[in-house]
Amino acid sequence: MDIPRTVSVALADRPVEGSRCLEAGAGVGATTAGLVDAGASRVYAITNDRGHALSTRERVGDESGLSAAPNGKRSGAADRLAVLEADLRAIPLPDGSVDLITAHGLCNVLDPPALSRIVDELHRVAAPGSHLVVDDYDPLPNDAAVRDLFAVENAASELATGRSALTFYPSSVLRDLFVGKGWAFDRERTLLDPVPWTASHLSAHADAAASFAVNCPDVVGDLLAARAERLAAEIGNESVGRMYSLAFRFPT
Amino acid sequence: METRPLGNTGHDSTVMTFGTIALNWLEQEGANQMVEHVLDYGVNHFDVAPTYGDAELKLEPKLRQHREEIFLGCKTGERDYEGAWQRLEQSLDRLGVEKIDLYQVHGLEYDEELDEITGDGGALEAFREAKAEGLIDYIGLTSHSRPSLILNAIDRIDDLESVMFPLNPVVAGKDDEEHDYEAVLRRANEENIGTLGIKAFAAESWPDTDELPERDRPFCNWYRPVCSPDAIRDRFDFAASQGLTSVVSAGDPKLVTMILEAAADYDGLDEAAQRSLIEAARHDDSPVPEQLHH
Repeated sequence: MDIPRTVSVALADRPVEGSRCLEAGAGVGATTAGLVDAGASRVYAITNDRGHALSTRERVGDESGLSAAPNGKRSGAADRLAVLEADLRAIPLPDGSVDLITAHGLCNVLDPPALSRIVDELHRVAAPGSHLVVDDYDPLPNDAAVRDLFAVENAASELATGRSALTFYPSSVLRDLFVGKGWAFDRERTLLDPVPWTASHLSAHADAAASFAVNCPDVVGDLLAARAERLAAEIGNESVGRMYSLAFRFPT
Repeated sequence: METRPLGNTGHDSTVMTFGTIALNWLEQEGANQMVEHVLDYGVNHFDVAPTYGDAELKLEPKLRQHREEIFLGCKTGERDYEGAWQRLEQSLDRLGVEKIDLYQVHGLEYDEELDEITGDGGALEAFREAKAEGLIDYIGLTSHSRPSLILNAIDRIDDLESVMFPLNPVVAGKDDEEHDYEAVLRRANEENIGTLGIKAFAAESWPDTDELPERDRPFCNWYRPVCSPDAIRDRFDFAASQGLTSVVSAGDPKLVTMILEAAADYDGLDEAAQRSLIEAARHDDSPVPEQLHH
């Protein structure tokens, strides 16, 4: 699969080759593909979404590209990839077992309590001297049209599950959070500016709102789902906001 | 308008090259106005070909008037010595000029064609004779074909001074070898060969003719172009920021003024904004639904 530039740029200055990697929140496999392509000796792609686990395995596991492990042995993607369907609040890996952790577009789908617990877990599985890459979005400016769509998605999620679907943390907040856990801040770079929210993103967010709305009190749910769909259609697409990449080291 | 050195030629081309195929779709009076309009923006590099309808003939009157202001690129699709000579003489005649500044192998598509062009009795023999006689100054090549073929041509044609090839955010977002025109750009820059970008404004292929007959297409380009001023500007800025010498304007005259405006205002594009355009194109084109993120 094509590896997004957001991923390749975030990984470009990290020692992926020969590393045991953990992709926290695998999504549709983009970062997992980037790690495999960059020569990771092992990639654990963890997601709690069965559809994402399947698509990551299908899209990345079948890649025929060969990379060298530290011992010089060359193996294909399937031999180096383990897609795990699991809760990141209880990562099924031992303490100190990975050298590089990526969380690409993960934190914005975590509310503060979940974020806090996952930060603890990432800390637990990180080996001394390991690297951490956290890529996410700054809060959108007040005049961004897509804010309205995300507000509706959050309203539906709050009513259905009691928590927000999306939280855009400023880079400084995530930096300070990880530093507070003992990670040493290494660098920040801008991945996207502006961020292109395309018609396909907006339609995916409208669909997400609709799936939360199913579990809302009926009239409210229908209204929110319809509102999300209308907003996605009206906005069409919008390029706004910034996606950033933070990198940290775990003290040896 | 910004200018950049065209490889080793000593010529500084404007960051926009006028693709004169646009003249084919205009009457003579409109074509004359278009050339004046393009020159008013300071564009100094024009590109034409005998296969662009009657673009050569429509360009001729204004070319005669402004010959000194225009670096003229022309092409031939002929692959053998005789054919290339005939086509060159025909273009000189139709364009009403004594010399073509840059004469290009047009639309290289197959390995066998490269063998023929570079072999005994091939088109390049005619190019070199014409160069010795002062009928052309420089030799170039254009191709929409596989990047590996263009790289091969760079290796095999020692006196190549320019290459013309596709570059846009859709292509840049694809990692496979078939789309790695950035490798062509890198190699050309290493060897100080001028680079001319085409398809900068291409959005997607036209739908099947059953769905949209050719006569009902709203633009004369081979592809559906982007057409809003903002999108034109984004696409121009992207192509110009990749390190090309010059970006060739789109073939439909309706788009030319927007491209001129973008070229005149061009002031660089930072890397995060370049990635933003690649990312937008990647999602427009993505086979995977339901992506919330980038």
